[in-house]
Amino acid sequence: MTSTSLGGAVVRGTVSTALLVSLMSASALGAPVDLSKWSPQYVRSIAGTQDFDTAADCAKVTPLDYKGRLTFWYQGVFEGDPDLLRQYYKDFFATFRKTYPNIQLEDQALTYNDLLDKFRTALLGNAAPMAVRLQILGGTEFASKGYLRPLKPEDIGYATDDFWPGAMKAVTWEGVTYGIPTNNETMAFIWNADIFKRAGLDPDKAPATWDDVVKYSKQIHDKLGIAGYGLVARKNAGNTPYRFMPQLWAYGGGVFDEANANPTYKQVELNSAQSKAALQASYDMYVRDKSVPVSALTNQQADNQPLFLAGQLAMMVSHPSDYNVMLDLQKKTTGTDKDKAQTVIDNMRYGLIPTGPNGKRAVVFGGSNIHILKPEYVEGGKVDEPAAKAIGCMWASPEWSLKMAYAGSNPGNLNGFKTKWMKERLDSIKFLDVTTSMLPYGIPFPALPQSPEIMNIIVPDMLQNALTGTMTVDQAAEDAAKKVKNLTAGGL
Amino acid sequence: MTILTGKAETSRRLRPEGSGLLRKIWEHRADYAYVLPAIAVMLIVIAYPIYYTIELSFFNTPPGLQLRDKIFVGLNNYTAILTSPVFWTVTRNTLIWTAGSTLISFVLGFASALALHRDFVGRGILRAILIIPWVISAVAASYIWKWIYHSDFGIIGAVLVGLGLADRPPNFIDSVNTVLPSLIVVNIWREFPFAMIMMMAGLQTVPDQLLRAAKVDGANAWQRFWHVTFPHLRNVSTVTILLLAVANFNSFIIPWIMTGGGPSNASHIWITHIYELAFGRQRWGVASAYSVLLFLILMSLGYFYVRALSGNERKDGSA
Repeated sequence: MTSTSLGGAVVRGTVSTALLVSLMSASALGAPVDLSKWSPQYVRSIAGTQDFDTAADCAKVTPLDYKGRLTFWYQGVFEGDPDLLRQYYKDFFATFRKTYPNIQLEDQALTYNDLLDKFRTALLGNAAPMAVRLQILGGTEFASKGYLRPLKPEDIGYATDDFWPGAMKAVTWEGVTYGIPTNNETMAFIWNADIFKRAGLDPDKAPATWDDVVKYSKQIHDKLGIAGYGLVARKNAGNTPYRFMPQLWAYGGGVFDEANANPTYKQVELNSAQSKAALQASYDMYVRDKSVPVSALTNQQADNQPLFLAGQLAMMVSHPSDYNVMLDLQKKTTGTDKDKAQTVIDNMRYGLIPTGPNGKRAVVFGGSNIHILKPEYVEGGKVDEPAAKAIGCMWASPEWSLKMAYAGSNPGNLNGFKTKWMKERLDSIKFLDVTTSMLPYGIPFPALPQSPEIMNIIVPDMLQNALTGTMTVDQAAEDAAKKVKNLTAGGL
Repeated sequence: MTILTGKAETSRRLRPEGSGLLRKIWEHRADYAYVLPAIAVMLIVIAYPIYYTIELSFFNTPPGLQLRDKIFVGLNNYTAILTSPVFWTVTRNTLIWTAGSTLISFVLGFASALALHRDFVGRGILRAILIIPWVISAVAASYIWKWIYHSDFGIIGAVLVGLGLADRPPNFIDSVNTVLPSLIVVNIWREFPFAMIMMMAGLQTVPDQLLRAAKVDGANAWQRFWHVTFPHLRNVSTVTILLLAVANFNSFIIPWIMTGGGPSNASHIWITHIYELAFGRQRWGVASAYSVLLFLILMSLGYFYVRALSGNERKDGSA
């Protein structure tokens, strides 16, 4: 009898403990974010529904009194970012140092365009940092070369399901996960309602298709003598593929089949009729209609922002943060320029990125990931793994993945959408609904080691060759397709 | 009878016999010892990278592989370069860039030096002002000029449109036809003060009595310049032109910052193309082959530079 009651007690104890643990974990982690229900209403309904204790969560990964040293490079804020983001970056590093007072952190911020070059060079000399936060485009290149150690969300206290599937695809190479997404974003279409009105267009309606963008751009230029669409075609600048690829995909084109649900990246599609139609649209705006800034070939998006604020540019594809950037830029204006800038800000509208002729809507699924290096490529030959995991855990936490993406992106950790800061953000960041609505249309860049070269050099080259008249649209597309084929075949 | 101490005896035994190279080296062993640290440093920071670059130029380095997994391809990189249409575009650009920048900078610098060699009020201030472009950081200058040239909102375009001289701002750096000349103007603006300083120094060496004698003999200003001043400046001119040519062949900052080699490779010169191949496209092998070719070209320019300098020394010695 005693043994039976003891056994019963053990069973009862085990069951009740399991129930308690399950309840506790449910209250700690809550129900997972349901991506199938994704809509602005759904995002609003989950915002502010759950609290997270970042320090306590990360303490389970790396004890808070852990003593170590970490070298860390990351893509930091630059001239095109709002001041609000600058402050959050400062706060993050201050909080990390406070939370882990015994980790000696040596952090270095680099711009989007410089980070890849510097990181590649450092790797060649075995002088890389222990951990790095790279743009989404870079992870596969370094994973495929064997520089990164496997790292999955579970290693730093999270679940793979806590992150966007597209983002996880971008950190996976040959079935192994090599990084943690920190933030993921999709851009939206921005226009100046006042310019639309003066040009005889409906001020509250974004162009529905890319063909409409071409038409609107011409109408605006012809009537008002200013630039219609903010085309960007600079080489070696991340801005160019982020703005051209949505156009390419919307027309049904692509570099490969990356716009499909299960891409194989086998067939080069840059010279397809659909891809050529997308390139033709850019050609029509730049060469035929002259309705976009002439400086598009040397411009980056940071150059378009002042043009937009000055009322000299009517439409552009950009981040939700551009509204805050405009507010920051306006603070620097004086005299009558201040009023002009205010008029532009008051007339700023956000909409979904236009579709292609067949109703296809697409946007680049952007973002960044944290990676940990293998010791042999790191200066000193040692990687302080607990320290690296600590910064990974903190940056990818619901709290900080939201705060560090407050104005310009979205949290990589989906639980960030449930935090009180998300609720606050929905109230304070204008047009956030629109950009979060674009997330389901997000297409990641091809998860190939050749992607940075394709996106940063071959695609902009194709645009420049066509827009300068060096080649016809057909020749430029064929030339680019040939380069991609040669590149993927391992040519010189 | 000569008595050798133990130390002197050892030295005598160690000294190489005969009058060959080894003996000469031995006699100057102290001099060699003094330059040894510098030679060691140069071997590490110059000779090894040159060796490694030459070695790397025989390998393919696909973007999916680490550098240590490079594939030996023999002379394929050199063949690929010489058969690539981009190579000829970039070479043409480099020659135009180097020749245009060097010659115009030299002529402008020489003219400025001649003007400033004469005494007039405010000469010191003018000299200081003309040196400013050379002192300004090339990075800052490039950004300033990028905005001056801006095809939509550049100050030059605004002035021309404002004065009614143009309907729309001229396209300086977004056109394949105008981008290279526009960049050359910036480069000349930045480096003509260097030529000016060199030629001003050279002008100090022209003997005044010769010029006065020529004047007494009835030579006009042009004849005095051509028959007296210019021959005295021949060597300093050669050195200045060679230094400018080497600097321009190696020039990176202005074209890279202002256009990144674009649009459509129209402003890519060798150095920017090598940088893009290596760091943007990770074609370390092809970039190394380009670098080897560039090294050979620069070494030949260096040979002429040394010859010009040796000519100076010989003249000084015989005078």
